Amino acid sequence: MTTPALLVVMKITIGLLMVAFVLVLIRLAKGPHLYDRVVAFDLITSLVAGIALVYGMLNDVPFFMDVAVIIFLISFLGTVAISKYLSKNEPHE
Amino acid sequence: MSNFIITLFLLIGAFFMVVAAIGMVRLPDLYTRIHAATKATSFGLMFLLLAGSIYFDSWTTVVKSILLMIFIYLTAPLAASSIAKTTKNLDNEEDLD
Repeated sequence: MTTPALLVVMKITIGLLMVAFVLVLIRLAKGPHLYDRVVAFDLITSLVAGIALVYGMLNDVPFFMDVAVIIFLISFLGTVAISKYLSKNEPHE
Repeated sequence: MSNFIITLFLLIGAFFMVVAAIGMVRLPDLYTRIHAATKATSFGLMFLLLAGSIYFDSWTTVVKSILLMIFIYLTAPLAASSIAKTTKNLDNEEDLD
């Protein structure tokens, strides 16, 4: 079922995701505030989940979908934890 | 036929991921960056998951993919809203000072 054209498309997809990764790394390096870096890191974890998914498709290993699930779970927990930690000095909460 | 659909979904997903990354670099404000990162990423990852579940063609993969889609659309707006609320509180404090 898997044709060589499909494998080439998967490699192109991984390449596009790598380009997006580099662009987000630029924002992570020069973000003016801490919040820009938090948002950039959130986007980086989503990109890593996508790269893991397409890599699993490329090597025909369905296990990598579990990897994407776990990465996304930890990303959500980390983002919410960081934002709650940064807003802990608020008097209303 | 299924190869064509997988190709289309993979390229659409990668396109929206790249759009999100370009938005992260080009957009001027933190709120617009949150907008780009959240919406485009959840849409692109949804298409990558659809491509994966069509490609692997087994029930466990389909169920995991649907679960991850539900999880993405539940939690990505929550995380973005949490960051935006924290930033808004900090901006108000800086205005008061």
